Amino acid sequence: MTDSRRYFDDIAVGEAYDSPGRTVTEADIVIFAGLSGDYNILHTDAEFMKSSIFGERIAHGLLGLAIQSGLFTRAGIPYATLGLGTLRWKFKGPIKIGDTIRVRARVTAKEEGSKRDRGVVTVERQVLNQRDEVVQEGETDLIVERRPAG
Amino acid sequence: MTLTEAHVGLYSGLSQDFPTEAGLVPELLPLCLTTGLGWRIPHPPLAVLAFMGFEWEVLQPVRVGDTIHSIARIAVKRSMREGGVIVEGREVINQRGEIVHRGRFTYLVAKRPKP
Repeated sequence: MTDSRRYFDDIAVGEAYDSPGRTVTEADIVIFAGLSGDYNILHTDAEFMKSSIFGERIAHGLLGLAIQSGLFTRAGIPYATLGLGTLRWKFKGPIKIGDTIRVRARVTAKEEGSKRDRGVVTVERQVLNQRDEVVQEGETDLIVERRPAG
Repeated sequence: MTLTEAHVGLYSGLSQDFPTEAGLVPELLPLCLTTGLGWRIPHPPLAVLAFMGFEWEVLQPVRVGDTIHSIARIAVKRSMREGGVIVEGREVINQRGEIVHRGRFTYLVAKRPKP
């Protein structure tokens, strides 16, 4: 079986990726509220939100994070990721129903760790909407497998 | 909250974010669940105007069948003219008492409206 995943050794600092777009729907917000148990009125009460600064319901910030995580795996050949080490994230603007988001990512650092079979790849990401506004951004330190010897 | 295949299926279907290994839970899922767990505590919830951002650290894998709960502590409080910033430290703990994930959430919180 061929393994086309990219190992730590294959990834270069400076590589950049653009993901496909994903339109966020009312259903996504409803399912995420049910799954997480976060029923904050920002996401669930359309009448209340009419008089808010957003004018309508907005998506949970973490829903945007979850969607961008999936989009990242569709932005190029996937990494041989062992896990997510750490992440630092900012919510810059709302995601509204009907917005289409995509992620733009760039490898900014690579670090070998103490374990020989893995390394850390730092990826800087921006989540953009259809108006090219940055709605979320941050950095993830991904733990990626090293190519096995032999 | 006990994590089930249904949680993983729903989350992965929604996000297209899958666990790295069978039997594990996608790493962002416990983070997503802590936001809901926070509503089930006896304290009144924070009057959050905006969730500004956060930092998060994955310490140990979480498996289907694990039961997690979270502990939140207010770490920093900074007043501004309109509202203030609150930084809350969070830990996600499994049924063995191990801290599996932890981080800090930064919120913009409303001030009590003047009468």
